[in-house]
Amino acid sequence: MDRITEQQIETDRMVLNFGPQHPATHGTLRIIMELEGETVKKATPEIGFLHSGFEKLGEDLDFNQYITITDRMNYLSPLCNNVAYALAAEKLMDLKVSKRTEYIRVLMCELSRIADHLLNVGMLAVDLGAMTAFLYGFRLREDIYDLFEIATGTRLTTSYTLVGGLMRDIPDEYDKAVIKVLDETDEVVNEIETLLNKNRIWQDRTKDIGVISKEDAISYGISGPMARASGIDWDIRVNEPPYSSYEDFDFDVAIALNGDVFDRYLVRMEEIRQSIKICRQSLDKMPTGDVSIDPDLGFSLPPKDEVYNSIEGLIYHFEVTMPNRGMTPPVGEAYVATESPNGELGYYIVSDGNRTPYRVRTRPPSLINYSIFSKLIEGHMLSDAPAILGSFNVIAGELDR
Amino acid sequence: MNQSEIKSNILTTTLESAINWGRKNSFWPMPFGTACCGIEFMAVLAARTDLSRFGAEAIRFSPRQSDLLIVAGRISIKMMPVLIRIYEQMPEPKWVISMGACASTGGVFDTYSVIQGVDQFIPVDVYVPGCPPRPEGVVEGMMKLQDLVGEEKLSDYSPAPDN
Amino acid sequence: MSLETSTYQLKEKFPEAILDITEFAGEKILHIKGQQILLVLTELKSDGYNFLADLTAIDNLTLGGFERFAVSYHLLSHERAERITVKAYVSEENPTLPSIESLWKTADWQEREVFDLYGIIFEEHPNLTRIMNPDDYEGYPLRKDYPRLGRKERDDFPVVDRGIQKKKPLGWTE
Repeated sequence: MDRITEQQIETDRMVLNFGPQHPATHGTLRIIMELEGETVKKATPEIGFLHSGFEKLGEDLDFNQYITITDRMNYLSPLCNNVAYALAAEKLMDLKVSKRTEYIRVLMCELSRIADHLLNVGMLAVDLGAMTAFLYGFRLREDIYDLFEIATGTRLTTSYTLVGGLMRDIPDEYDKAVIKVLDETDEVVNEIETLLNKNRIWQDRTKDIGVISKEDAISYGISGPMARASGIDWDIRVNEPPYSSYEDFDFDVAIALNGDVFDRYLVRMEEIRQSIKICRQSLDKMPTGDVSIDPDLGFSLPPKDEVYNSIEGLIYHFEVTMPNRGMTPPVGEAYVATESPNGELGYYIVSDGNRTPYRVRTRPPSLINYSIFSKLIEGHMLSDAPAILGSFNVIAGELDR
Repeated sequence: MNQSEIKSNILTTTLESAINWGRKNSFWPMPFGTACCGIEFMAVLAARTDLSRFGAEAIRFSPRQSDLLIVAGRISIKMMPVLIRIYEQMPEPKWVISMGACASTGGVFDTYSVIQGVDQFIPVDVYVPGCPPRPEGVVEGMMKLQDLVGEEKLSDYSPAPDN
Repeated sequence: MSLETSTYQLKEKFPEAILDITEFAGEKILHIKGQQILLVLTELKSDGYNFLADLTAIDNLTLGGFERFAVSYHLLSHERAERITVKAYVSEENPTLPSIESLWKTADWQEREVFDLYGIIFEEHPNLTRIMNPDDYEGYPLRKDYPRLGRKERDDFPVVDRGIQKKKPLGWTE
C-alpha cells in the first residue's frame, strides 16, 4: 500500500501588482502584494495617482470660488463637501446662517449620503459577483441625480452652497418630488437586503473577513461607518455639539460589534434608513425665510435678481467678487469636522486677512481609513482583497487631492 | 433566382464601407476612468442612457482586447506613464475619446501635477467637453466618432516615415 | 478635567516648551516648540485626548509666526467631546521633529504627506518616503516659494509613437 507522505515544497513568494488600472480597484489605487500560494503575506499600497494640487489651488482662489473645487474631492457625495467647507468658512468669519439654509443643507447632505452608500454597497456587490444589487442602486441614484438637478442645476458637481448661504433656494414643489424618491428608496433598500442579507455566498465571503478591533480603530484614526461597525459609538452629528441644526432631528445611530465586512455593509444599509427618516423630518418642518445673509456685511453674494435689476445689488456683488476688493475675513484659523458618508470630513482654513485663504486643508477620511488596509489583508486569501477594499469606500479624489 | 429575389437578398457595397460599418457599430471600449468623469461614465453604461445600443457593451478592462480608449478624468504626472503604456498595448485600429475638461485641457486644475491635455502626448479623435459631461453628451461624442469612422478610407493609414 | 485645567497643567509641567496659548472662534490653540511635541502629546493622550483627527503643516513665510513651519495636530477627546489644536514650530534651517507614530498609527501616512509636500523630516519614522508625488520628484510643492504651475514636470513626457501615420479627418484644425 502506498502511504501518503507529506512533503513541504519550497515555495517562493510571488509579487502581484494590483495595478493602478484595474476593474476592482475603484479609482487609481495600486497595491503590491506578496503571495505565498493564495495567501497574502504582505501588501504595500501606493497612492498618489490622482494628486492634483487641490491645496495649492486653494491659495489662489477666492473663498467662494473654492467651493467649486471642493465638489471634485468626494465626487460621490459632493454636497457634503460643499456644506463642510461653507461651515468652516462661516466659523472663521463668525457668520450666522438662517434656519432655512441649515434645513436645506441637512436635506441635501442626507440625500448625498443615501447616494454614496448605495453606490458603495453596489460596488461591493459587483466585486463579489452580485450584479443585481448594483443595478438596483444605480437606477435609484439616477432619480436622486434628478432631484439634485432640479435644485442645483447639475447632477454631479453641484457647488450649491456659498459662504453664508446657498446659491439659490429650492423650488416650490420640491418636497413632493423628494417624498416620491424616498418612498422608492425604502423599497429598494428592502429589495437589496432581501437579496443579500441571508445569502449563503454573501455571508461566507464577508463574515469574519477584515476584522478591525476597537483599539486599532482609534489608533489608526478610523471614523464613520467603519468605526461604528467596530463598536465605537461616535457620530459627530450626535456626540459633539451639533452643526447646522442637527439637534432638531430625531434619528438613531447604527453600531455593530464584530468589525468585519458584513458589519460595515449592515451599518451602511441602516444609515440609509436613518437618512430617509431625517429627510422626511426636514421636509415636514422646513421653516420659511431667506437663504442668504444680509449682503451689507460684505461676505455673501446678493440674490441674482437683485444683482441684475438694482444698482445696490450690483455694487454688493462687485464688492465681494472683484480682485482688488473682496471679503475681509479676520486673521485666524478654524477647523470644522462634519460627518460625511465616509467618516470625519474636516476643513482647516487659515486666513491672513486677504480675499483668498492662506491655507486650506481637507481632512480626508478616505486616506486615513485606507492606512489600515495593509494590516487587515495579511493572512487572508487573494479573493478577499476586493471584499475588504470594497468595504472601505476609498474615493481616489479624496485620497490624493 | 429571379430578379426580385436577388434585389432583396444581395447587396453591393464597397470594401471600405463594409469595414467601416463593422468597426463603427461594434466599438469595444476600454474605460480609463480616474475621477468624477469615471462616475458619469458608469452612469452612461447604466440603464437610463445605455451604451450597449452602440454595440459597446463588452467592457473588458483589458487593453489588448479593446479598440476605443475613453480617457475620463484628470491625469496626473504619476498616472501618465500608465496611460501611455495602456495606449501602446492596444492593437490597431484604435481611437481615443477624451471625456471631460480635465482630460482635454487640464480643466480647473492648472497646477504642478495635472497634465494639461492628454492630446499633447497621445492622438485624440473626439473631445467631449463638460465637467462632467452629461451622459447625453458622451453619447453625442460616440455618434460623432461613428461618423468619423464611417468616412475613413483604407488609404488613410500609411506607415510612419522613418526618421 | 476640562480644557482649562489640562492646559493649565501642561503649562506647569512643560513651562519652557509652550510658546503661547491662544483662542480663536471658540477653540484653544497651543503653540509649542517643535522638539517637545512627543512629550506634550503623550501628556495630552494620557489626559483623555485619545483620537488624532488631523496632522498637517503650514508655511508661515508671509503670515509670520514663531518660526517658518508650523505642524498642527488636531486632537479629540471621546469622553469629553472636546477638541484642541497643538501647533509645533520648526525652523527653516533645521526642519526636524520627532515622529508621533508610536502614539497613533494614523500619523504614519499623514507625516509622509507632510514630508512630501513641505520637506519636514520626522525622526524615527518607519518609512519616510514620498507618498503623493512620484519618487523622483524634486522640490516641495506646497511651500510658498514653489510656483503653482510647477517646474515643467507636467510637460516632460514622450509623445507616443504610434508606428503608423493616420490622415487627419476633413476639417481638422490644429
